[in-house]
Amino acid sequence: MTIDEETFFAWLDGELEASAARQVADAVAADPVLARRAHEHRAMQDKLRLAFNGLLDAPVPDRIGEAPVDFAAAKAKRDERREVPVRLPQWAAMAATLVLGLGIGAIVGPGRGSDSPVAAVQGQMVAAAGLERALDTQLASAQQGGAGPRIGLTFRNGEGALCRSFSGVAGSSGLACRAGGQWQVKGLFGGQAGQGGDYRMAAGEDPRLAALIEESIAGEPFDAAAERAAQENGWR
Amino acid sequence: MASRSELEAQLREHWPRLRRFAYSLSRDAADADDLVQDVAMRAMASCDQWQVGSRFDSWIFRITRNLWIDTVRSRGRRDKHHAPAEAGELVGQDPTPGIEASLDLSTAMKAMQKLPDEQREVIALILIDGLGYREASEVLDLPIGTISSRLARGRTALLELLGE
Repeated sequence: MTIDEETFFAWLDGELEASAARQVADAVAADPVLARRAHEHRAMQDKLRLAFNGLLDAPVPDRIGEAPVDFAAAKAKRDERREVPVRLPQWAAMAATLVLGLGIGAIVGPGRGSDSPVAAVQGQMVAAAGLERALDTQLASAQQGGAGPRIGLTFRNGEGALCRSFSGVAGSSGLACRAGGQWQVKGLFGGQAGQGGDYRMAAGEDPRLAALIEESIAGEPFDAAAERAAQENGWR
Repeated sequence: MASRSELEAQLREHWPRLRRFAYSLSRDAADADDLVQDVAMRAMASCDQWQVGSRFDSWIFRITRNLWIDTVRSRGRRDKHHAPAEAGELVGQDPTPGIEASLDLSTAMKAMQKLPDEQREVIALILIDGLGYREASEVLDLPIGTISSRLARGRTALLELLGE
């Protein structure tokens, strides 16, 4: 018996009448190729469902379906959603997942408010406030001297995500890569922030950051044109 | 016709599924969260259009899908010239079939983004949410035959993207 693709999937989904379903089940049982396909598709669906099912556990917000009063309030609400200041226990749990240097406490230590350059979102460290702005908008090729975060290298990592190194964030340097529409901080290293000079090379001054870049980078760092194109493409 | 409080109660009950549906359609978490907010506001504003006793999930999913399509269309016009770079995102990434047992959300979302919109919405409703073909055809206002052929193409493509 030959089974067309749609009938096969309808059987897999329990959409066939009992007698038709029996026929397909018999055919699948008798044909190792079909049996393997059924197994592969079931496994793929389980994996897919599992990946999305984590979302079901999030609590329902207190207020839903209300129009924001004004733009500022909407923005504040959004920022609130994006930037949860890191508290100690959460931070301690996350430390294990990050490549860490010294001096990190100065950046995301307890008690910092929403101006902290690093925030925790769903257990991930992400760039926030001034650091997020710098990663989004600053081109290493067009940087002026002065205070604030500085961007070093821009490149793609082995997973194809865009990564940018930075320095001058509370005396620390680090690396952030794009994931889920945010800059996930992959490493933060205290001290040794450059003062003047060649900042694009300065990103490599901290040996730990250099090692992390070395480990992450796939191909060459972006030149000025590629960096600008990546920005125009929304760092995707 | 439902009152605002009845509607809000329904929204609360269906919130987790609504959120999962939005994530399975959207390209990233920020877009998905924005979509959920928009859907909730739209639903509250049009509570007179939902009949108490009728299926709330079909109604709210239809609103979600329509708002999402609007966003995709307006964005499509805006960054059409960026499409090739986006489409190339997963290229070169070996999903190592059979080895990676579990899948994280962002990888799953990326794979979903590789599907054409009309396949993605069917996969989201049937494979991820678990709706039946008839229910999905009601949400999308499409014949069951169309649902079933898009589902077949979508899951074949996903199997290739995600491995076993």
